Amino acid sequence: MTVHLVGAGPGDPELVTRRGAALLARAEHVVYDRPSMAEIVALAPVATRHCVGKQGAIPAPPQHEINALLVTLGRTGACVVRLKAGDPFVVSRGGEEAVALAHAGVEVDVVPGVSAAVAAPAAAGIPVMVRQLSRTLTVVAGNDDVDEVNWAAVAQLGGTVVLLTGRAALRRVVAALLTGGMPPDTPVAAISAANRPHQRTVRGTLAQPPSARLPAPLTVVIGQVAALDVTAGCAYPQPEPQ
Amino acid sequence: MKPYLVGLDLAGRRVVVVGAGTVAQRRLPRLIAAGAEVLLVAPKATPAVEAMATAGELHWDVRGYADGDLEDAWYALACTSDPVINAAVAAEAQRRRVFCVRADDATGGSAVTAATGDHEGLLIGVLAGRRPRRSAAVRDALIDALRTGVVDDAPDAEDHVPTPGVALVGAGPGDPDLITVRGRRLLARADVVLADRLAPRELLDELGAHVTVIDAAKVPYGRAMAQEQINAQLIEHAKAGRFVVRLKGGDPYVFGRGFEEVLACTAAGVPVTVVPGITSAISVPAAVGIPVTHRAVAHEFVVVSGHVAPDDPTSLVDWPALGRLRGTLVLLMAVERIGVFADALVTHGRAPDTPVAVVADGTLRSERVVRSTLAEVAAAIAAEGIRPPAIVVIGPVVALGAP
Repeated sequence: MTVHLVGAGPGDPELVTRRGAALLARAEHVVYDRPSMAEIVALAPVATRHCVGKQGAIPAPPQHEINALLVTLGRTGACVVRLKAGDPFVVSRGGEEAVALAHAGVEVDVVPGVSAAVAAPAAAGIPVMVRQLSRTLTVVAGNDDVDEVNWAAVAQLGGTVVLLTGRAALRRVVAALLTGGMPPDTPVAAISAANRPHQRTVRGTLAQPPSARLPAPLTVVIGQVAALDVTAGCAYPQPEPQ
Repeated sequence: MKPYLVGLDLAGRRVVVVGAGTVAQRRLPRLIAAGAEVLLVAPKATPAVEAMATAGELHWDVRGYADGDLEDAWYALACTSDPVINAAVAAEAQRRRVFCVRADDATGGSAVTAATGDHEGLLIGVLAGRRPRRSAAVRDALIDALRTGVVDDAPDAEDHVPTPGVALVGAGPGDPDLITVRGRRLLARADVVLADRLAPRELLDELGAHVTVIDAAKVPYGRAMAQEQINAQLIEHAKAGRFVVRLKGGDPYVFGRGFEEVLACTAAGVPVTVVPGITSAISVPAAVGIPVTHRAVAHEFVVVSGHVAPDDPTSLVDWPALGRLRGTLVLLMAVERIGVFADALVTHGRAPDTPVAVVADGTLRSERVVRSTLAEVAAAIAAEGIRPPAIVVIGPVVALGAP
């Protein structure tokens, strides 16, 4: 009786881990969130598929129903994969699902995934950390209550700030960082649908941030590295050695 | 039966399937995908088979089998739950010289269904006598191995041979199965692998004997020059026409100096690609049950390198700001100076009883975890004899993962 909580990575099926792919290949049930994960779900040819995310006009079921489904499937003894975008424990409710399963006596096996916090910027040619530009990486859950974050401290810390699932929160985050003293000319890059065929990057600054009205999932990078683009042979300003 | 394995071109050819239960349901999608003109004969069908009929993917005669149904058939499947009907279908097939699979009794028909699997245009079929579990297991293992790059399906095909150049591949936190499928595949095609100390040894053991493996830690010319020497080696091998994989622990861009290597290759005109990896900053806490973010507990996490002490003049990390944050803090390369960092955080506002977990050899069999608090962590890891490499996680999420 085990449910495998598998990180699907940032979107490209080739960025699933070896273990994740092996589990999917023999999965009997796959529970996933987004219809857009179809390519990764296809790695599970024999599994019964359960989409528990928002599908068009149909809203997603509440979290407790998803937990209950996982417990029910887990108790059958079948090979169950709960597929989570990115990493199951980064800006995701994988933690809550793990707790619910453990409480129900169903064993949980966590298989980490490549987080969009690192991979989405990389796909846009942005290294999240560069020795001369950024010594810290701060990742913020845009789908949680962003007002709970001490933005003044984040602004003071500087480095690289990545906002995940932050379409709704982007304007508030930008305002809070400016209020906290982050320079208005700090570069900002918004990466839409990273590692998918329709990936798109829009760049700006804190003073003139990119629009959040881009197709999900949206990853926003704030900091000096957001001006870099290694895919363009570094057409953007190169880091100044310190 | 000593079967002969063959590939049939069923496009536009009639295939008659008798019975529409779970066996037929499993066989029909592949017949349809092969372009067969499927005639299904069954008085009732499973909802999934019904849906195929509704979608026009096959023609369903809603009735029982009658002799003569195999007229014009090239291939037949008898998969009802009634052995008498299946035997009748097999007999008609024999008479008409149509190959026929009998689902309930493999020896009663003239053909058997192979366990099949697809991988990028490659079709695998496995027959294991009358042991379907064995054939399915071999099929699964082969498809697994192809998907994950353990078996290279195109070692000589021109379209798959990587052009000379460099791939920076994140190897993940330590467990060799936590590399990405693409990373593993590129590794299988490398001529030269330049590996970090933190890259999993097992991945190197899987390489062919023709692959040159260079230990980046042993590249000569002393510490200060090491990075330049690594860059030079990447460029030199790529310019000599080889495909070079730079295998790095975790992710190439998280404290990996990957950017410097990308810049050096680009400047030298060497094509370079980056394959992200699983950073240990996230996966090692996860491996011991600690989510770095958790709704209403930690909205943010900060990853910091601890290779420079807070009071060191070269430190570029703002420890007072870190002390004021309430979320999760992940310190890499910090285990040797953990006491200094814990003190700095407490001085700048973090509660002394904030939970801390120190994980050594994360995701490996030798993994060890010490749980403590900011006030006591230095003493705790000294007592446990924890040595690098280790990851330090600080914040309320640590208590969530408590066993």
